[in-house]
Amino acid sequence: MWSYERRLEFPVNIKEPNAQLAQAIISQYGGPDGEMGASMRYLSQKFATPYKEVAGLLNDIGTEELAHLEMMGAIVYQLTRNLSMDEIEKSGFDKYYVDHTLGIWPQAAGGIPFNACEFQSKGDIITDLFEDMAAEQKARSTYDNILRLVKDCPDVAAPIKFLREREVVHFQRFGEALRITQDKLDAKNFYAFNPGFDRCEDCGCKK
Amino acid sequence: MQEFRLDEHSEQFPVAMAYVPWQRFEGIYEDLEKAYCIGTIFPELNKPFTGGRCV
Amino acid sequence: MNNKDQMLRDIGIVGFTVTELALYLDTHPHDRNAIEYFNHYNRIKTQLEKEFSKKYFPIRVDLAESNQEWRWGAAPLPWEGVCG
Repeated sequence: MWSYERRLEFPVNIKEPNAQLAQAIISQYGGPDGEMGASMRYLSQKFATPYKEVAGLLNDIGTEELAHLEMMGAIVYQLTRNLSMDEIEKSGFDKYYVDHTLGIWPQAAGGIPFNACEFQSKGDIITDLFEDMAAEQKARSTYDNILRLVKDCPDVAAPIKFLREREVVHFQRFGEALRITQDKLDAKNFYAFNPGFDRCEDCGCKK
Repeated sequence: MQEFRLDEHSEQFPVAMAYVPWQRFEGIYEDLEKAYCIGTIFPELNKPFTGGRCV
Repeated sequence: MNNKDQMLRDIGIVGFTVTELALYLDTHPHDRNAIEYFNHYNRIKTQLEKEFSKKYFPIRVDLAESNQEWRWGAAPLPWEGVCG
Protein backbone atom coordinates (compact mmCIF):
# COMPACT_ATOMS: atom_id res chain seq x y z
CA MET A 1 0.00 0.00 0.00
CA TRP A 2 1.01 3.59 -0.25
CA SER A 3 2.23 6.30 2.11
CA TYR A 4 2.49 9.96 1.27
CA GLU A 5 5.32 12.33 2.08
CA ARG A 6 4.22 15.98 2.19
CA ARG A 7 6.84 17.13 -0.27
CA LEU A 8 7.49 16.85 -3.99
CA GLU A 9 10.34 14.51 -4.91
CA PHE A 10 12.05 17.56 -6.48
CA PRO A 11 10.79 21.12 -5.85
CA VAL A 12 8.63 22.95 -8.38
CA ASN A 13 8.65 26.75 -7.98
CA ILE A 14 7.47 28.46 -11.16
CA LYS A 15 7.10 32.19 -10.70
CA GLU A 16 5.62 33.12 -14.08
CA PRO A 17 2.61 31.41 -15.64
CA ASN A 18 2.85 30.43 -19.30
CA ALA A 19 -0.27 28.92 -20.76
CA GLN A 20 1.31 28.13 -24.11
CA LEU A 21 4.06 26.09 -22.50
CA ALA A 22 1.53 24.33 -20.27
CA GLN A 23 -0.29 23.01 -23.32
CA ALA A 24 2.83 21.21 -24.54
CA ILE A 25 4.13 20.09 -21.16
CA ILE A 26 0.82 18.48 -20.17
CA SER A 27 1.87 15.55 -22.36
CA GLN A 28 4.17 14.38 -19.60
CA TYR A 29 1.21 14.40 -17.22
CA GLY A 30 -1.38 12.49 -19.27
CA GLY A 31 0.18 11.85 -22.65
CA PRO A 32 1.27 8.61 -24.34
CA ASP A 33 4.78 8.62 -22.87
CA GLY A 34 3.96 10.49 -19.67
CA GLU A 35 4.15 9.75 -15.98
CA MET A 36 0.56 8.53 -15.61
CA GLY A 37 1.23 5.87 -18.24
CA ALA A 38 4.54 4.97 -16.64
CA SER A 39 3.09 4.49 -13.16
CA MET A 40 0.03 2.56 -14.37
CA ARG A 41 2.18 0.38 -16.63
CA TYR A 42 4.63 -0.74 -13.94
CA LEU A 43 2.05 -1.01 -11.15
CA SER A 44 -0.11 -3.17 -13.45
CA GLN A 45 2.71 -5.38 -14.70
CA LYS A 46 3.95 -6.19 -11.19
CA PHE A 47 1.14 -8.67 -10.44
CA ALA A 48 1.90 -11.26 -13.08
CA THR A 49 5.69 -10.98 -12.72
CA PRO A 50 7.08 -14.42 -11.85
CA TYR A 51 10.28 -13.21 -10.14
CA LYS A 52 10.09 -11.48 -6.78
CA GLU A 53 13.03 -9.13 -7.33
CA VAL A 54 11.63 -7.94 -10.64
CA ALA A 55 8.14 -7.45 -9.19
CA GLY A 56 9.68 -5.50 -6.33
CA LEU A 57 11.53 -3.25 -8.75
CA LEU A 58 8.36 -2.63 -10.80
CA ASN A 59 6.59 -1.67 -7.60
CA ASP A 60 9.36 0.69 -6.48
CA ILE A 61 9.79 2.39 -9.85
CA GLY A 62 5.99 2.59 -10.26
CA THR A 63 5.84 4.32 -6.90
CA GLU A 64 8.49 6.83 -7.93
CA GLU A 65 6.55 7.50 -11.13
CA LEU A 66 3.52 8.51 -9.05
CA ALA A 67 5.77 11.11 -7.41
CA HIS A 68 6.77 12.27 -10.90
CA LEU A 69 3.10 12.44 -11.92
CA GLU A 70 2.57 14.75 -8.97
CA MET A 71 5.50 16.93 -10.06
CA MET A 72 4.10 17.19 -13.60
CA GLY A 73 0.71 18.13 -12.20
CA ALA A 74 2.37 20.81 -10.09
CA ILE A 75 4.24 22.14 -13.15
CA VAL A 76 1.09 22.42 -15.27
CA TYR A 77 -0.83 23.90 -12.31
CA GLN A 78 1.80 26.56 -11.64
CA LEU A 79 2.11 27.37 -15.36
CA THR A 80 -1.64 28.07 -15.55
CA ARG A 81 -2.15 29.64 -12.14
CA ASN A 82 -4.19 32.86 -12.05
CA LEU A 83 -4.40 33.20 -15.81
CA SER A 84 -6.49 36.11 -17.06
CA MET A 85 -9.18 35.61 -19.70
CA ASP A 86 -7.01 37.64 -22.04
CA GLU A 87 -4.05 35.28 -21.57
CA ILE A 88 -6.33 32.27 -21.96
CA GLU A 89 -7.74 33.54 -25.25
CA LYS A 90 -4.40 34.66 -26.73
CA SER A 91 -2.45 31.48 -25.91
CA GLY A 92 -4.85 28.96 -27.42
CA PHE A 93 -5.44 27.56 -23.94
CA ASP A 94 -9.14 28.34 -24.43
CA LYS A 95 -9.76 24.88 -25.91
CA TYR A 96 -8.66 23.18 -22.69
CA TYR A 97 -10.13 25.87 -20.43
CA VAL A 98 -13.63 25.48 -21.80
CA ASP A 99 -13.78 21.86 -20.59
CA HIS A 100 -11.62 22.10 -17.48
CA THR A 101 -11.21 25.77 -16.50
CA LEU A 102 -7.84 25.67 -14.71
CA GLY A 103 -8.36 22.13 -13.49
CA ILE A 104 -5.67 19.53 -14.18
CA TRP A 105 -6.93 16.70 -16.43
CA PRO A 106 -4.76 13.98 -17.93
CA GLN A 107 -4.44 14.38 -21.68
CA ALA A 108 -1.73 14.62 -24.31
CA ALA A 109 -0.63 17.96 -25.79
CA GLY A 110 -2.63 17.05 -28.91
CA GLY A 111 -5.78 16.49 -26.86
CA ILE A 112 -6.01 12.69 -26.68
CA PRO A 113 -7.21 11.78 -23.20
CA PHE A 114 -5.10 9.44 -21.09
CA ASN A 115 -6.15 5.85 -21.72
CA ALA A 116 -4.89 2.33 -21.09
CA CYS A 117 -4.10 1.82 -24.80
CA GLU A 118 -1.03 3.93 -24.09
CA PHE A 119 0.60 1.06 -22.24
CA GLN A 120 0.73 -2.70 -22.30
CA SER A 121 0.86 -5.27 -19.55
CA LYS A 122 1.54 -8.40 -21.57
CA GLY A 123 1.90 -10.96 -18.79
CA ASP A 124 5.21 -12.08 -20.28
CA ILE A 125 8.13 -10.82 -18.26
CA ILE A 126 10.60 -10.46 -21.15
CA THR A 127 8.04 -8.58 -23.24
CA ASP A 128 7.01 -6.38 -20.31
CA LEU A 129 10.60 -5.43 -19.53
CA PHE A 130 11.27 -4.43 -23.15
CA GLU A 131 8.05 -2.38 -23.01
CA ASP A 132 9.39 -0.71 -19.88
CA MET A 133 12.81 0.03 -21.34
CA ALA A 134 11.12 1.51 -24.43
CA ALA A 135 8.80 3.55 -22.21
CA GLU A 136 11.75 5.09 -20.36
CA GLN A 137 13.39 6.06 -23.65
CA LYS A 138 10.15 7.55 -24.98
CA ALA A 139 9.79 9.61 -21.84
CA ARG A 140 13.42 10.74 -22.08
CA SER A 141 12.90 11.85 -25.69
CA THR A 142 9.79 13.77 -24.67
CA TYR A 143 11.75 15.53 -21.93
CA ASP A 144 14.48 16.34 -24.49
CA ASN A 145 11.76 17.99 -26.59
CA ILE A 146 10.46 19.93 -23.59
CA LEU A 147 13.98 21.08 -22.66
CA ARG A 148 14.31 22.68 -26.10
CA LEU A 149 11.11 24.61 -25.39
CA VAL A 150 12.16 25.84 -21.94
CA LYS A 151 15.74 26.98 -22.59
CA ASP A 152 14.84 30.44 -21.26
CA CYS A 153 12.75 29.25 -18.32
CA PRO A 154 15.12 27.98 -15.59
CA ASP A 155 12.21 27.52 -13.15
CA VAL A 156 10.69 24.95 -15.50
CA ALA A 157 13.96 23.52 -16.83
CA ALA A 158 15.21 22.49 -13.35
CA PRO A 159 12.48 19.94 -12.47
CA ILE A 160 12.33 18.77 -16.11
CA LYS A 161 16.10 18.04 -16.12
CA PHE A 162 15.63 16.02 -12.93
CA LEU A 163 12.72 14.04 -14.38
CA ARG A 164 14.65 13.36 -17.59
CA GLU A 165 17.65 11.96 -15.73
CA ARG A 166 15.34 9.67 -13.71
CA GLU A 167 14.27 8.07 -17.01
CA VAL A 168 17.89 7.23 -17.82
CA VAL A 169 18.37 5.64 -14.39
CA HIS A 170 15.11 3.68 -14.65
CA PHE A 171 16.17 2.39 -18.07
CA GLN A 172 19.36 1.02 -16.48
CA ARG A 173 17.36 -0.68 -13.70
CA PHE A 174 14.92 -2.32 -16.12
CA GLY A 175 17.91 -3.46 -18.18
CA GLU A 176 19.35 -5.08 -15.07
CA ALA A 177 15.98 -6.68 -14.29
CA LEU A 178 16.12 -8.17 -17.79
CA ARG A 179 19.59 -9.56 -17.05
CA ILE A 180 18.22 -11.10 -13.83
CA THR A 181 15.36 -12.63 -15.83
CA GLN A 182 17.75 -13.97 -18.47
CA ASP A 183 19.83 -15.66 -15.77
CA LYS A 184 16.76 -17.54 -14.60
CA LEU A 185 15.94 -18.85 -18.08
CA ASP A 186 17.69 -21.14 -20.56
CA ALA A 187 20.17 -19.11 -22.61
CA LYS A 188 19.79 -21.58 -25.47
CA ASN A 189 16.25 -20.35 -25.90
CA PHE A 190 14.88 -17.56 -23.70
CA TYR A 191 11.53 -17.80 -25.42
CA ALA A 192 10.84 -21.52 -24.95
CA PHE A 193 8.03 -20.80 -22.50
CA ASN A 194 6.43 -17.95 -20.56
CA PRO A 195 7.71 -18.30 -16.99
CA GLY A 196 4.65 -16.45 -15.73
CA PHE A 197 2.17 -18.82 -17.30
CA ASP A 198 3.43 -22.20 -18.56
CA ARG A 199 3.61 -24.98 -16.02
CA CYS A 200 5.90 -27.98 -15.63
CA GLU A 201 3.88 -30.96 -16.68
CA ASP A 202 5.09 -33.08 -13.76
CA CYS A 203 4.98 -30.86 -10.74
CA GLY A 204 2.35 -28.28 -11.69
CA CYS A 205 4.68 -25.49 -10.53
CA LYS A 206 5.22 -22.33 -12.56
CA LYS A 207 8.47 -20.85 -11.27
CA MET B 1 35.19 4.92 -27.57
CA GLN B 2 35.80 1.32 -26.55
CA GLU B 3 34.78 -1.17 -29.21
CA PHE B 4 32.83 -4.02 -27.75
CA ARG B 5 32.52 -6.81 -30.26
CA LEU B 6 29.69 -9.02 -29.19
CA ASP B 7 30.90 -11.99 -31.25
CA GLU B 8 33.84 -12.31 -28.87
CA HIS B 9 31.35 -13.13 -26.13
CA SER B 10 28.74 -14.98 -28.14
CA GLU B 11 28.47 -17.76 -25.55
CA GLN B 12 27.67 -15.25 -22.84
CA PHE B 13 25.34 -13.22 -25.03
CA PRO B 14 23.33 -15.40 -27.45
CA VAL B 15 21.66 -13.69 -30.40
CA ALA B 16 17.98 -12.70 -30.59
CA MET B 17 18.15 -10.95 -27.22
CA ALA B 18 19.36 -7.60 -25.86
CA TYR B 19 21.68 -7.08 -22.88
CA VAL B 20 22.20 -4.01 -20.73
CA PRO B 21 25.58 -3.97 -18.96
CA TRP B 22 25.55 -4.24 -15.17
CA GLN B 23 26.22 -1.05 -13.28
CA ARG B 24 29.04 -1.55 -10.78
CA PHE B 25 29.01 0.50 -7.57
CA GLU B 26 31.89 2.92 -7.91
CA GLY B 27 30.89 5.49 -5.32
CA ILE B 28 28.40 8.33 -5.38
CA TYR B 29 28.69 12.08 -5.89
CA GLU B 30 30.30 13.71 -2.84
CA ASP B 31 28.05 16.73 -3.22
CA LEU B 32 24.57 15.29 -2.73
CA GLU B 33 22.89 18.61 -3.48
CA LYS B 34 24.58 18.60 -6.89
CA ALA B 35 23.46 14.98 -7.39
CA TYR B 36 19.88 16.01 -6.52
CA CYS B 37 19.88 18.74 -9.20
CA ILE B 38 21.37 16.31 -11.74
CA GLY B 39 18.83 13.58 -10.90
CA THR B 40 21.18 10.74 -9.94
CA ILE B 41 23.75 10.01 -7.21
CA PHE B 42 25.79 7.89 -9.65
CA PRO B 43 28.24 9.83 -11.89
CA GLU B 44 28.32 7.03 -14.47
CA LEU B 45 24.57 7.37 -15.04
CA ASN B 46 24.69 11.16 -15.60
CA LYS B 47 23.83 11.55 -19.31
CA PRO B 48 22.68 15.17 -19.80
CA PHE B 49 20.87 16.53 -22.84
CA THR B 50 22.94 19.15 -24.66
CA GLY B 51 20.46 19.98 -27.43
CA GLY B 52 23.23 20.32 -30.01
CA ARG B 53 25.52 18.01 -31.95
CA CYS B 54 28.76 19.94 -31.77
CA VAL B 55 29.56 20.70 -28.14
CA MET C 1 16.90 30.34 2.64
CA ASN C 2 15.35 30.20 6.11
CA ASN C 3 15.88 27.32 8.52
CA LYS C 4 12.62 25.57 7.67
CA ASP C 5 13.18 25.72 3.91
CA GLN C 6 16.78 24.55 4.31
CA MET C 7 15.69 21.59 6.43
CA LEU C 8 12.98 20.68 3.95
CA ARG C 9 15.53 20.82 1.14
CA ASP C 10 17.90 18.59 3.16
CA ILE C 11 15.07 16.07 3.58
CA GLY C 12 14.55 16.21 -0.19
CA ILE C 13 18.24 15.62 -0.88
CA VAL C 14 18.69 12.76 1.61
CA GLY C 15 15.30 11.29 0.67
CA PHE C 16 16.36 11.22 -2.97
CA THR C 17 19.67 9.58 -2.06
CA VAL C 18 17.74 6.88 -0.20
CA THR C 19 15.40 6.33 -3.19
CA GLU C 20 18.34 6.00 -5.59
CA LEU C 21 20.13 3.52 -3.33
CA ALA C 22 16.91 1.51 -2.88
CA LEU C 23 16.45 1.13 -6.64
CA TYR C 24 20.11 0.13 -7.01
CA LEU C 25 19.71 -2.46 -4.25
CA ASP C 26 16.55 -3.85 -5.91
CA THR C 27 18.81 -5.13 -8.70
CA HIS C 28 22.00 -5.56 -6.60
CA PRO C 29 20.59 -7.07 -3.37
CA HIS C 30 23.95 -8.38 -2.13
CA ASP C 31 26.02 -5.22 -2.62
CA ARG C 32 27.26 -4.69 0.95
CA ASN C 33 28.78 -1.32 0.15
CA ALA C 34 25.45 0.00 -1.15
CA ILE C 35 23.64 -1.50 1.84
CA GLU C 36 25.92 0.46 4.20
CA TYR C 37 25.26 3.66 2.29
CA PHE C 38 21.50 3.01 2.38
CA ASN C 39 21.45 2.31 6.11
CA HIS C 40 23.51 5.44 6.79
CA TYR C 41 21.42 7.86 4.72
CA ASN C 42 18.12 6.28 5.74
CA ARG C 43 18.98 6.90 9.40
CA ILE C 44 19.75 10.54 8.61
CA LYS C 45 16.46 10.88 6.69
CA THR C 46 14.41 9.40 9.53
CA GLN C 47 16.08 11.68 12.08
CA LEU C 48 15.59 14.81 9.94
CA GLU C 49 11.92 13.93 9.34
CA LYS C 50 11.27 13.50 13.07
CA GLU C 51 12.95 16.80 13.93
CA PHE C 52 11.26 18.68 11.10
CA SER C 53 7.81 17.33 11.89
CA LYS C 54 8.13 18.32 15.56
CA LYS C 55 9.41 21.81 14.80
CA TYR C 56 7.46 22.82 11.66
CA PHE C 57 4.79 20.51 10.19
CA PRO C 58 4.35 16.74 9.83
CA ILE C 59 6.06 15.41 6.71
CA ARG C 60 4.23 12.06 7.01
CA VAL C 61 0.90 11.30 8.62
CA ASP C 62 2.49 8.98 11.19
CA LEU C 63 4.47 12.01 12.40
CA ALA C 64 1.27 14.06 12.85
CA GLU C 65 0.60 13.69 16.56
CA SER C 66 -1.64 16.62 17.35
CA ASN C 67 -3.19 18.46 20.28
CA GLN C 68 -5.95 20.93 19.60
CA GLU C 69 -5.65 21.14 15.86
CA TRP C 70 -5.12 18.37 13.30
CA ARG C 71 -1.52 19.10 12.24
CA TRP C 72 -1.58 16.94 9.11
CA GLY C 73 -4.46 18.92 7.65
CA ALA C 74 -2.81 22.21 8.55
CA ALA C 75 0.45 21.30 6.80
CA PRO C 76 1.16 23.21 3.55
CA LEU C 77 0.42 21.64 0.15
CA PRO C 78 3.75 20.91 -1.59
CA TRP C 79 2.48 21.56 -5.14
CA GLU C 80 1.79 25.25 -4.46
CA GLY C 81 5.45 26.22 -4.86
CA VAL C 82 6.62 29.77 -4.12
CA CYS C 83 3.14 31.24 -3.87
CA GLY C 84 2.03 28.57 -1.37
